[in-house]
Amino acid sequence: MKNLKLGVVPLVLMAIVCLFPAHAQDKPALIVGAIYIGSVNDYGYNRSMKDGLEEMKRNIPGLKLIEAENVPETAESERVMENMIQQGAKLIFPTSFGHMDFALNVARRHRDVFFYHPGGYKVEQNFGNFFGKTQTAWYPIGIAAGRMTKTNKLGFVVGQPIGYALGNVNAFQLGARSANPKVQTIVVVTNSWSDKAKEAAAANALLDQGCDVLAMHVDSPAVIIQAAEARGAMSIGFQSTEARRLAPKGWITGLGFTWGKFMTEVANSVINGTFKPGFVRQGIDEGMMAVAPFGPAVPPDVRKQVLEAVDKLAKGFNPFTGPIKDNEGIVRIKEGEVWGNDKMGNFDWYAEGIIGKAK
Amino acid sequence: MIATLLRGVLAGAILSGTLLLYATLGEVIVERAGIVNLGLEGILLIGASVAFAVASVSGSAYLGVVAAAVAGGITALLFGYLVVSRKANQLASGLALMFFGSGVSALVGKSYVGGVIAGLPKIRVPWLSGLSWVRSSTLFNWDILVYLTIPVALLAWWLLFRTRWGLGVRAVGENPAAAYASGRRPQLLQYQALFVGGLFGGAAGAHLSVSLTRTWNEGMTAGRGFIAIALVIFSKWHPIRAVVGALVFGGAEALQLQLQARGAQVSPFLLDMFPYLLTLAVLLAWGGARRAAAPAGLGRTFYGTE
Amino acid sequence: MRAAAALRALRQIAAWCLIALRYLAVIVVALAVFSLILLVVGKDPVKAYADTFAYTFGNAYGFSELLVRMSPLLLTAVAVALPSRIGLINVGGEGQLYMGAWLASAGALAFPSLPAWILLPLMAACGFAGGAVWAAVPGILRAKKLVNETITTLLLNYVAPMIISFFIFGPWRGEESSSYPQSAAFTASARLPSFFNTRIHAGLLLALAALLFYWLVVEKTRWGVQIRAIGGNPEAAERLGIPLVLYTVSVMAIAGGIAGLAGMGEVSAIQGRLRQGLSPGYGFAGFLVAWLAGTRPAGILLMAFVFAIITSVGDILQITQGLPYAVVNILMAVILFVVLGRQPGRRETR
Repeated sequence: MKNLKLGVVPLVLMAIVCLFPAHAQDKPALIVGAIYIGSVNDYGYNRSMKDGLEEMKRNIPGLKLIEAENVPETAESERVMENMIQQGAKLIFPTSFGHMDFALNVARRHRDVFFYHPGGYKVEQNFGNFFGKTQTAWYPIGIAAGRMTKTNKLGFVVGQPIGYALGNVNAFQLGARSANPKVQTIVVVTNSWSDKAKEAAAANALLDQGCDVLAMHVDSPAVIIQAAEARGAMSIGFQSTEARRLAPKGWITGLGFTWGKFMTEVANSVINGTFKPGFVRQGIDEGMMAVAPFGPAVPPDVRKQVLEAVDKLAKGFNPFTGPIKDNEGIVRIKEGEVWGNDKMGNFDWYAEGIIGKAK
Repeated sequence: MIATLLRGVLAGAILSGTLLLYATLGEVIVERAGIVNLGLEGILLIGASVAFAVASVSGSAYLGVVAAAVAGGITALLFGYLVVSRKANQLASGLALMFFGSGVSALVGKSYVGGVIAGLPKIRVPWLSGLSWVRSSTLFNWDILVYLTIPVALLAWWLLFRTRWGLGVRAVGENPAAAYASGRRPQLLQYQALFVGGLFGGAAGAHLSVSLTRTWNEGMTAGRGFIAIALVIFSKWHPIRAVVGALVFGGAEALQLQLQARGAQVSPFLLDMFPYLLTLAVLLAWGGARRAAAPAGLGRTFYGTE
Repeated sequence: MRAAAALRALRQIAAWCLIALRYLAVIVVALAVFSLILLVVGKDPVKAYADTFAYTFGNAYGFSELLVRMSPLLLTAVAVALPSRIGLINVGGEGQLYMGAWLASAGALAFPSLPAWILLPLMAACGFAGGAVWAAVPGILRAKKLVNETITTLLLNYVAPMIISFFIFGPWRGEESSSYPQSAAFTASARLPSFFNTRIHAGLLLALAALLFYWLVVEKTRWGVQIRAIGGNPEAAERLGIPLVLYTVSVMAIAGGIAGLAGMGEVSAIQGRLRQGLSPGYGFAGFLVAWLAGTRPAGILLMAFVFAIITSVGDILQITQGLPYAVVNILMAVILFVVLGRQPGRRETR
């Protein structure tokens, strides 16, 4: 039968290949595995992770990096990580929050492989946790937006209404309000970290409502920034400072992650056998986050105000200091109370001046 | 206040509805010929990825749209080979086509994921876009595909109802045996209808990637192909009614985001379900009338002597 | 006499071998076509297949993962095969799986302190009920000749995950991780046990039971014969006095319930809580498996196994060749194309 004859060829080839032993290669200093939830070409979160890993690779000669993009936040990711371990990975960065539980499962099965997970909260002997102090870092960004807006309406596109995202919006509004008491932030949720069509429609909806500055917490700011730029509005970027290339006219500033320094430290600790799992949260001053360069339209006094706020943060200022009311008038942070790092995931309310439904 | 909401919904409806309309028009022609193409989602995806890839490489979004349409047509012919020549089950073949489109689009788009392009240029209508109610919105400031929606719908109507070709296509859809007996070639007509449908589907996908979002990522059509199939039923297989349908469903998509932007106190997830539930409700309401309006031979395979 | 019996047995075995060979031939042709596609984009198909082979058969974990994948696939395939006997097309496996997961989670969260031997069957029952209701609605609509079940089941696939999102962001938001989109973790008594220090879980037993049920019911019972009659000719069946509406709805409900069990398995054994993204397309893959198997139970078992291997090809392609996982959908589609195009379809009514 014609069908069978055709089919014999791949079978035979397969058999031959299986019989040939794999040839040995030079042994690398360390094999690091990384899984991304999306593509690294997103001008956003995944890009920032990739940039950090590349920096780590440059800093440590002989380090080999294996990567997999578009790994969903499901049990599938366990398979991918197991495969990387099979290929010799001794350090794994599961770069998206939703990979946490699955990475933990893999970590429990392989106590000789080390993991550092961004954005989660679980820590075990070979599993650590790190992230940027994004919420407080949004405060100075909010100041920039509050100063630049002419309509006093800021738009914020949120992927999924998790506590950390709500915290980002709150800090943004608090900062904006401190510079401009009349300002409001309108929030639209797309229910997905990267549904581009929804992001475009959400951006347009916000612009239709009169917002002239758009900010976002989604995996990639590209679509929203482009939508703003196309309609002559201003934009704020998040996740990666590269996004400013998309909005030559309307770019104000943004917040980006600079993971490279920390990743290099972790990789070195694995090589030296001094790995220490921890719950690491670093901000702009410690080098894990960076304020993006300002756009051409931003006047010098605004830049000064923003940088002063960044300085205040480094000296210990926390914008989440009571009393703070939510957008229904209820006091959420009492007088004298301060919400620190450990509470950044607990937001289920929006601050005063934010138009949106928190849950 | 209401005026701004209306304007926002209308603007969003037109933007979201454009690709729905193209996809629906293509499927109307195909179903008029008696074939159900459940794989429309796959054709949309192939169109979107091809358009973006070609636009990224060539720098011309227009070229991307043309390439996407052609790719859609060729894919539809592949589907046609299965259901027309090999007489395979249309529903299963359609779902296989959906899988195929998902995989091929991922492959084609792989090198371009996350990239950004300038996209289809927007063309402003001189006087209308300056009106005060219109000015700060996207109305009358669209790309060529949006402007062409009504003309293309009219073209589809004319093709189906005013040409001999359209008569033949409809005859095949009603009763292929009779059409064959009267001297037509059902299989050829079905292939042609499928090709035209594929052209439309590819263009619809292109609009999503080179105009609405100006980017590509896997699976970005999110079920719009299936909404289009429901829209065909909604519009009772008539191209002009499809325009209304596409606006209504494009509006449903836009409405939930506009409502959020106005601070509506409804969970975004419940709002998200709205387009799909609306589709179901409409299908339900149309229930009985639908059977009368559908081409009699829809879904049946022609076993003629060809 | 013995010679005659032996001859019959031999012929039967030969017939089975021929069927298996035909399945194999289809797969091999599809693999060849897929290899061509991979070559065109500059990838190495032989290495991909070899790597897959090494991973799935040369590695205990890899092999165990095949069985983990098979459990929901068997269930969703039966969920398609059963209604197809009555002439219905159920493409709603995804949605039914999610709704089964949802109701099973409701059970787990509502009764955390019950012992496992009560809670697990309760959750299974809930899972079944959730999927059953989700499929019964399209069933009713079809039975009343209002809407075709193909399109309703398809559309409902998109609604189900949104219902889950609504609950995990709202009423069921977990306490310890209140910021993340997931429910509270299930108690230990709500977790289906796993075996051999892998992720193979008791859901596999449920799946095999469902397959057995399917075979028994359709081949061996009078009800099964009746529904096959309906599948062949609905009008005639109606004239014979078979209550079409009742059968349509009940068959859809049972099928949906079986898919719902897959959701219960995922959420109880694999995830341990309710969250998004439970299914990487098990519902649609189940449709393909059922179609390729020609709705024969043994075929379903074989094809589910083959599909589990194919999904491993997808993983390998992603890790070692840098291709998106979705590319493996091309292979699945080509397999179906080959089967569909292999011979001109038999005469069939719609």
